[in-house]
Amino acid sequence: MSNIAVSLQNLTLAYGDTIAVPSLNLDIIDGELIALLGPSGCGKTTTMRAIAGLMKPRSGTILIDGKDVTKTPANKRGVGLVFQSYALFPHLTGFENVAFGLRLKKRPNDEIVQRVEAGLELVGLSHLATRKPSELSGGQQQRLSLARSLVMEPKVLLLDEPLSNLDARLRLDMRTELQALQRQTGITMVFVTHDQSEALALADRIVLMKNGHIEQIGSPEALYDSPQTVFAADFVGFENIFSVGLNTQNEGTTIYNNTGELTLPYQANVSHLAWRPGGVVVGSGPHKGVVTGMAFAGDKREYVITTSAGKIKADVDVSVPAIQIGEDVFFDLPESSARMLDDKATQTQFKHG
Amino acid sequence: MGQTWASRLIIFTTLLFLVGPFIIIIFAGLSAGSSLAFPPDGLSLKWYLAVFEVESFRQSFVLSMFLAVGGTLTALVIGVPAAYAICRYNIPGAETIKIIVAAPIIVPGIIVGLALLRYLVVPLEFTVTLALFLAHTALVLPYAVRVVSASLQNLRTDIEEAAVLLGCNRLQAFTKVILPNIRSGILAAFILGFVTSFNQVPVSLFLSGPGVRTLPIDMLAYMEITYDPSVAALSALLAFLSIGIVFIAEKTLGFSRYV
Amino acid sequence: MFQNRTEGLALVLPAAVFIAVLFLFPVGILLSEGFKVGGEWSLAGYADFVSKPLNRTVFFRTLKLGFLVAFVSAIIGYATAFCIVNLEPAQRGRVFGLIILPLMISPVARTYAWIVILGRTGIVNKAIVGMGLSDSPIRFLFTETAVFIGLLQLFMPLMIVSLISAMENLPKDAIPAARVLGASWLQVFTKVILPLTREGLVLGGTLVFTGALTAYITPAILGGSKVLMLETLLYQRVNVSNDYVSAGIIATILIVMCFGANVVLRRVAKA
Repeated sequence: MSNIAVSLQNLTLAYGDTIAVPSLNLDIIDGELIALLGPSGCGKTTTMRAIAGLMKPRSGTILIDGKDVTKTPANKRGVGLVFQSYALFPHLTGFENVAFGLRLKKRPNDEIVQRVEAGLELVGLSHLATRKPSELSGGQQQRLSLARSLVMEPKVLLLDEPLSNLDARLRLDMRTELQALQRQTGITMVFVTHDQSEALALADRIVLMKNGHIEQIGSPEALYDSPQTVFAADFVGFENIFSVGLNTQNEGTTIYNNTGELTLPYQANVSHLAWRPGGVVVGSGPHKGVVTGMAFAGDKREYVITTSAGKIKADVDVSVPAIQIGEDVFFDLPESSARMLDDKATQTQFKHG
Repeated sequence: MGQTWASRLIIFTTLLFLVGPFIIIIFAGLSAGSSLAFPPDGLSLKWYLAVFEVESFRQSFVLSMFLAVGGTLTALVIGVPAAYAICRYNIPGAETIKIIVAAPIIVPGIIVGLALLRYLVVPLEFTVTLALFLAHTALVLPYAVRVVSASLQNLRTDIEEAAVLLGCNRLQAFTKVILPNIRSGILAAFILGFVTSFNQVPVSLFLSGPGVRTLPIDMLAYMEITYDPSVAALSALLAFLSIGIVFIAEKTLGFSRYV
Repeated sequence: MFQNRTEGLALVLPAAVFIAVLFLFPVGILLSEGFKVGGEWSLAGYADFVSKPLNRTVFFRTLKLGFLVAFVSAIIGYATAFCIVNLEPAQRGRVFGLIILPLMISPVARTYAWIVILGRTGIVNKAIVGMGLSDSPIRFLFTETAVFIGLLQLFMPLMIVSLISAMENLPKDAIPAARVLGASWLQVFTKVILPLTREGLVLGGTLVFTGALTAYITPAILGGSKVLMLETLLYQRVNVSNDYVSAGIIATILIVMCFGANVVLRRVAKA
């Protein structure tokens, strides 16, 4: 069994009277790259701040390397944090920013110089050591911030939305770089993100959070292919989600959402069914609808089909001739591409009829 | 371009009204004669030099300097933590505290001076100098809090958290990370406080005793007795002092951002 | 990290206590003196104060000069600020520097200059006599006009600075847009500039108005005992007649007017 780097036990976090995270339990394995994923307000940042020691838990325990650090102040926890907007010290050069923590520890000067240079080299910033943060680009600032945390050799490195402030191309570079750094240093990394594609691409394991609860934990593949709840399915791109009605006849299944219902020719003994837009078949099938929206997206066309059960999103390969807005189409919601969800808790999400 | 000329004329006229008197003061002080006049009766530097010979001016200059420097420094010592608390913490009763701290700007100085004289100096036997010092500190405090707050607000809060995570305790985080970054704000507050305190009259009006007078009060008293150009010369010198300080501050810090 | 409210309170307390004890408390006692006659709580002091014509004259003069200075500052301020905002940046900086320059100069020096200018042997009188407009010098000093001029010069920069910063925030094309839509310059001012710079006008107006109300040096030097304003009246009451009831009343009036101006004008700005 692998070592546990961080263990959160019955952790309750609150701002004044508002409970942000009620009783969270989570084990983070040594050396893994784990993502706390969820929409804003789900408690992921709060959880991260509690691990760092920037926020006092209402109750519960935080263990780092098996030691109880719940009452240890932030400056003695040995946790690194790369802030969303980097939080570099504006009055210090790149070198001095990285050296900051080592100087506080009163390390000998030789060692500081050597470790800072190694740190700057690791993130590829050796040539910019004398610049002030304001003279660096966003990507460089982020790498400087990384180096500043890494030279302290933290037991855990926390990253707050590490890619959100970068433009699209840098984001890809940084993704690769972060993964490489993690393999190279073997440091346990926890990052917080609201972007599912970022979590899927980067993490070894994803913790999907909602309202302070863990909705699902698993590998990116598991989360992507087998979301366990309606929320998880929605979050990883199953955009067409229906409740399954109680069906007395044995011939099929009635599915419905807020606006209407459809009857499928097969049986499903689950609470919900969900399809990605790519899983919807357009052009043939037992159901009829009207195309009310179409967007060209390079390799595919994204249709909105209005049906008796509301709007359905469907992606069709670009090689298929376009269907014009206003045309009637047949479509199918096949059993093969359906994600069957047994999520009784979410049953009430859709109104009947 | 008729419009440009009209606009130049308007600006020129306004500036003449605002700055002209100051230029007249400079020249009136340059008079070679013995009475205040413009244009001066001949040019000489004698009144500018004579100012330094007046014993009471020297004494009151020292007092005013002490009040301006000491009062402003004291105001900063208690004002910087206050500004920090107002900007960073969610203090109970924050609005009331802000109003209390801003009060010395709104309450007319003459009232403050009189109140301190009557209820501190007389019954508690405070010296006039101490009362002046307290009054000038209180007067400058709102400016210190306001200017330092402005520069704290421009500073991200997460750099302090970053410092703590790198091993600082709270005090170290403040001295190593916050203080260096609000240094120019503090300096700007000092200069603004210095100029405000040094030029202050109404507060000091009642707070004067034998041999204890601030410079502006001393000048007012001198004017009542003599009508020679030395006050003009002194006024000009003081103006140059203030302008010089502010000018250097503007060049080095971009002072006007803070005012 | 900043959740500990007691910590925050501890940091702000020295400043708040300093001002409350050494500033607000004595001022509070002084104000209460206006409500006491012979050691008893009473409004007789106010009744007595109001009954004296001199007090009424001084009160209304102070109010009048405050409004007048604020009003004239606003008119000249709009014209000047508008011209300054339209200058090219380098020139604008220099002119702006000259506008705020007087603020750095001691009010004693600034007011003193007017003696040189308006005195019996001042330049204005020399010019008047020299051009034969009058046989003998005209008396300007110790008139309301002199006080008005002195106050205007003292406080107008505050108005101009407020208006400049308000005009800098005007949407860039608002004025050309209004002109293209057929507005006259007067309409541009009343329908575009005025509404959009209202907050700057109110802020500047508050500063100038309260500044003029509470100025001491200008009325003392240029008005003397002939043109008393509330502040000089207060000084006189204390120094000449040791009348602390009047002093408390005048102090109350001044503070009420200053706070009132702040509150009322802020309302106006938001409405």
